[in-house]
Amino acid sequence: MTGFLIAAIAMLAAVLPCGIVAVRGSLMAAVVAYQAVSAIIVIVLVLLAEGFRRPGEFELPVLLAVLLFGSGLVFVRFLERWL
Amino acid sequence: MSAREVIADVLLTLAACTVLASSVGILVMRNVYQKLHYVTPAAIVAPLLTGLAILVQSGFTENSAETWLALAFVMTGGPFLSHATIRAARIRETGRGADE
Repeated sequence: MTGFLIAAIAMLAAVLPCGIVAVRGSLMAAVVAYQAVSAIIVIVLVLLAEGFRRPGEFELPVLLAVLLFGSGLVFVRFLERWL
Repeated sequence: MSAREVIADVLLTLAACTVLASSVGILVMRNVYQKLHYVTPAAIVAPLLTGLAILVQSGFTENSAETWLALAFVMTGGPFLSHATIRAARIRETGRGADE
């Protein structure tokens, strides 16, 4: 197991506290946890692609990073105005 | 183990520690504004360290370029998202934005 896979597993463990906040916290606290998780997951996907040496999988974190940024802004805007 | 691998492992360890500390901070802080401070290390420092680790390990390749592209989106988008979240939290609390 390479250092990249170990780092990916450690970062996946960091999703757990954010998940607790998302489930048990207020709505805005859950949004903050969601933003942290989205950033962590992009890093984890990069690490997994490098760790398993699969060049084709490097496109997934690129797409996810773009989509999560747009969706995060839309989500926050909805929370600000209507939810 | 080459020096390149050692440097990459050190950078990855720092990145993982940063992410773990950030997530614990998000868990233990009391309100949204305090929690939001702990998103920044996970969204800016950790991607930077991870990108450097992959650059050290692989050199200037197509993989490292795609890595930096993905992590650049995370690093540049993070502050915008944080600002939008703080604004939304303030509007939900007070009913108006900071500029009104």
